[in-house]
Parts: sequence; structure tokens; C-alpha cells
Amino acid sequence: MTSEPVLQVKDLATYYYLGDKELKAVDGVSFDIQSGRTLGLAGESGCGKTTTAYSIMRILAENGQIVRGSVKLGGLELTSLSDEEIRKVRWKKASIVFQYAMNAFNPVLRIGRQIVEVIREKDDVSEEEAVMTVSSLFDEVGLKPERQNEYPHEFSGGMLQRAIIAQALACDPQLIIADEPVTALDVIVQNKILDLLRNLQKKYNLAVLFITHDLSVVAENCHDVGIMYAGNLVEVGDATAVFKRSLHPYSYKLIGAFPSVIGPKKRLHFIPGTPPNLLDLPKGCKFHPRCPFAKDICKTEEPEFREIEKGHYAKCHFAGELDLGGA
Amino acid sequence: MTTAEPILSVRNLRKWFPVRRGIFSSLFQEQQYVKAVDDVSFDVAKGSSIAIAGESGCGKTTLARTILRLTHPTDGAVYYEGQNIFEMNRIELSEMRLRMQLIFQNPFEVLDPRHTVEDLVGEGLVIHQIEESDEVLHDRVIKALEDVRLIPAEQFATRYIHELSGGQLQRIAIARSLILNPNLIIADEPVSMLDASIRTEVMNLMTDLQKEKDLTYIFITHDLAQARYVGEYLIIMYLGKIAEMGPMEEVIQNPQHPYTKALVSNIPIPDPTEKRERIMLPGETPTPIDLPPGCRFKDRCQEFGPQCKPEEPELVEVAPNHFVACYLKYAAQ
Repeated sequence: MTSEPVLQVKDLATYYYLGDKELKAVDGVSFDIQSGRTLGLAGESGCGKTTTAYSIMRILAENGQIVRGSVKLGGLELTSLSDEEIRKVRWKKASIVFQYAMNAFNPVLRIGRQIVEVIREKDDVSEEEAVMTVSSLFDEVGLKPERQNEYPHEFSGGMLQRAIIAQALACDPQLIIADEPVTALDVIVQNKILDLLRNLQKKYNLAVLFITHDLSVVAENCHDVGIMYAGNLVEVGDATAVFKRSLHPYSYKLIGAFPSVIGPKKRLHFIPGTPPNLLDLPKGCKFHPRCPFAKDICKTEEPEFREIEKGHYAKCHFAGELDLGGA
Repeated sequence: MTTAEPILSVRNLRKWFPVRRGIFSSLFQEQQYVKAVDDVSFDVAKGSSIAIAGESGCGKTTLARTILRLTHPTDGAVYYEGQNIFEMNRIELSEMRLRMQLIFQNPFEVLDPRHTVEDLVGEGLVIHQIEESDEVLHDRVIKALEDVRLIPAEQFATRYIHELSGGQLQRIAIARSLILNPNLIIADEPVSMLDASIRTEVMNLMTDLQKEKDLTYIFITHDLAQARYVGEYLIIMYLGKIAEMGPMEEVIQNPQHPYTKALVSNIPIPDPTEKRERIMLPGETPTPIDLPPGCRFKDRCQEFGPQCKPEEPELVEVAPNHFVACYLKYAAQ
């Protein structure tokens, strides 16, 4: 924990502009990722996890804008880079693996060709060298090197996801952002891909930002966990701490909503109501209308994001004081 | 399955889809088939809830569609309350359609955005030409909305679907089915599209409704952890066939088929302190075209051995109501 984190996100806020309305997709998110560690960013649809990732990579839709905060990758501030400069960061320093591998490749070009293109765009290497690199990358992700001459439709979902990972690694990045990388896959294939990601992370000492809605996958694959709700990071910390000693009522309830195949059948939690409309957010704590512990202060004052125990942060007025299981 | 009279019996059901070919191969090669459902038999007891689970391409959705007679089988029969649904005439079929309802995965695709909730929920009654005055129709819609806890129902009735959340939409989809007084509901991944915090609410609602309305459920799902919370009996499919079926907890806690063992061991657990041994299977699930003879799992099976005969293994009963299609279990007989 002493070394400088690879990725430092501080008070990041990204809004989308819809006509004259302002949609606060991400509003004040802060976290760090050290090299060799995985932070799982989890939450339900619309909580801002993907917008956070897109803000880091600066691949937001046209109407999206980073309005506040800082994103530092290896000490380099990304939010103020020009379009030309950020292009040099993508793939070289940070790359992203998307959910739908099917859509990530051009269907009419051979897969190897597409990765060679990325390498030659970013690094000053010859065609032959780039092809050699692709061969060794394919080998590394468990694909036969000769398959680089095939087209995307000849690959299964799991194989495409491997090819995407090969592409993400092509230019030796320090950070990989994986946006729901296994959600579309069956569990057995899913675990093979996750094992692959984990092994590569160890080998190259990568920092990984893992975005998913599935807390079971987070529990098994991430060192640290961040839980998002309505554009806020409501809790972040070591995975065991967040799962076993949740500080925020939302994290506690959300974790309890996931069924398990082992142990006795527990009563699953649910949270009454629905997440707020991001165009019309409640005052105070954004979770208060659904929170069983809400008091008057929660309705008027937005809680601070603060460190409750070492490395374990939460955005709740009563974090650490609540008997969450008693609700 | 139990002593109770089955509401539905599936017997040797097959659904094969021909693989389309060019003119040349059609002259010189035998016609190939995707054997999506291949000789499947099971009973569903009245008032029970069963879950049919497996990976993509295992045939679970084709099985559901065939049970509903949305597609005609290649072979076999489905008996609904003792009558073969493939031999029903139009009137009988229409009757059956009232009693056997389907709930889809994605309520956004099922519900027409231009209609009000009232129109959507009442649509089934109108389609089936159940003679009702406007007042009675309205009352039945309100009752159905109250049944799925969309309260105040009068307010929900006037809304359009873009005003509602995913969980509310799925409840409207359930209300659409309930208004026809079904006794069997086939739900194809009913909560997979929903966020975790509202999923449990919909699952609990379905469980409550089962008791209130004396319903029988068939859940189709890819998620065994979810299946555990909705079904009492579990059927595991692999490449169009039943690999294992038995009481839910027994199959989940003590799987017998090598495929089920691998599948269960790979389900992620929402607890970072739980470290389990995973059974890794080589390769990926093949497509069910032109399968080699014998057990369809043998190429990936970690327990393949001399006991495995060249023919396809039949289901054998290893414990009361617990069946496994594996030669390893033959020796125990």
C-alpha cells in the first residue's frame, strides 16, 4: 500500500446534458487502484459504474462531460489531456475490455489483422514484428496462434473474449478496465476467462478495474470492492471488509440479495422502491427514500465520503454505528 | 415425481431442427439436425415448482416452447391434464392456452408501449373473447394488479410502460397471465433482466402467488443459485437431454452427474471468504449437431472410464425421485 497507486480517481463527476437538463451520472467518486490489484466496481443499472469507466478512458458520448475532479494514471492527469494526447494513453497505458465481444471486432476483417492494426498504430514496429506479437499474445490467452487468420464469426463467445483480452494486452498497459467482461458467458467459460485475467494480472502486475452488476463474481475475483448508487460511490474497501462488515445500508442489502448455492438457504434481501431518477435526485443522501435507517439529517444533508476503518470508506451519516442486520 | 397427479407429462419429446444446406451437400450428404431437445421425459406434479437449468444451447427454451405448442415436436408427446396437446383441436387448444401461461425474460419486449397498463393486462380476456362488460373487465384488471401488489391499482391502470420500472413491468407481465386464471405458468428467466435489489421482491411475489392461486410453475433458468430459490425440483439439461433431475436441495448439495458437479462448482458465491475447489471442464459446450454416439458428455467428462458403454446412458434412479444419466451410477444399481 506504500507505493503510488496506478490509478487515482478523486471527486470525479460526469454529467450528461439532455436538452436543457443535467443528468448527474457520476457525482463525486474517489478511489485508488494499486498495481497488481483488482477493484470491483459494482452496482445496479444506472448507478454510474460504466460512466466512471468511460470517463477514465475519455470515451464518453458527445453529450457527456467530466465537470469536476481528477483522474491520474501513473501520475499523469487524464482529464486535461487533449484528444491527441489521450489517444496515446488508450491501449498503451490503459485498455478496456467490453461486455459484448461480438461487437468489439469488425466482422469482415481477420481477428489477427485487427490486433496488428492496434499494435502498429501505437508502437513503431514492422508488420512482421506485430504479427509475431499477436501470435505470442494468442498463445498467452489460450488461443492457437494460427487462429489469428480467422474471422470473428468463426470464434465462440469465450474465444472472442480471449481475443479481446489479447488485444487489450497488446501494448503493455498498466491498467485494464473490464466492463462486464463475462456477463454474456456461461458460468464454466466465465470462470475460465476470469482465471485467465487473474493469471495475466499477476504476471504483468496489472491494475484492473472490474465493472459488474454481479456481486458473486466480485466476491470471487476482486481484492477491493466499490459499491455505487445513483452516481455516488457509497462504500469502498477490501472485499472481505465490505462483504462481512458492510458499513452502508445499501451495500448490506444488495449483498444480501444475492442467492448462493452453498450453505443453508437464507432469506434473500430486497430493497423496497426503485433507484431515483437521475434527473430529479432526492435531497440529502440519495438512498434515504429506500433506507430503513433514514433519519431527519439524511433527508437534508448529503453525507460525507469518509474513512471509517483503515482503508474502508463509506458515504453514510451513521456508518459504523448501525446494526444493519437488525433492520 | 410425487404421488400427486401430474398436471403435465412430457414423454420422449424430441425437437430437431434441420440444418440448412446448399444444393451440392444436399445431394451427397445426409441431412443433419440440431437436436435441440432429444428424448426428454418428465412429470410435473400439480402445485409443484420445478426449475429447468442448463447453459446456453442446452435446449431449455426450445423445450418450453414445445411444451406450449409454440412449435411442433419432431416426436413425442406432452400431456396436459392427461390430454396430448399435439392432438388437441382448436377449441381445446384455446382452452389450454388460457390455463397454461408463459412469462418472458424481457418485459420491455413483451409489452406494447402505446397501450395503457389497463389495456395490456386486460388484453388476454379480449383476445380469448371472454364475454365481459366494460365494468367487469375493469374490475378484473384492478384485481389482477392488486394481486401483483401494484397498489394503488387504479393509478397504475392508467399509466404507460415508460413510466414504470423493470420490476413493475415484470409484475404487469405476471398480472397479464394471472387474469386468465391459469394453473400452470412457464417462466423463462423471469428475473434475469432485473436488478438484484428488486429481483427478490418479484421472486417472493411469485412464491406467494403460487400458494394463493394454487399454481404450478416451470422455471427456465441458467442460474442455479436463482433456481434454488424458486424451485423444489431441478432438471439439469445438457445438449438437449436431461443429465440429472431430482429434489432441488439434493441436486445442488450433492450432485451426481459429472456435468452437474462441474456446473455447481462453477457457480460464483457471494462471499469472498468462501474458497471452493472448481471442476474445470475442457473445451466449450459443442453445438448439438451430429453428436457422436454414446454419452454426449464423454469428451469433456473428468470421470470417463471403461464403464462408459458406447450407447447413450438412460436415466437411472439413484435415490427417490433423483435420476442421473451416467454409467457411473449403473454400477450402484
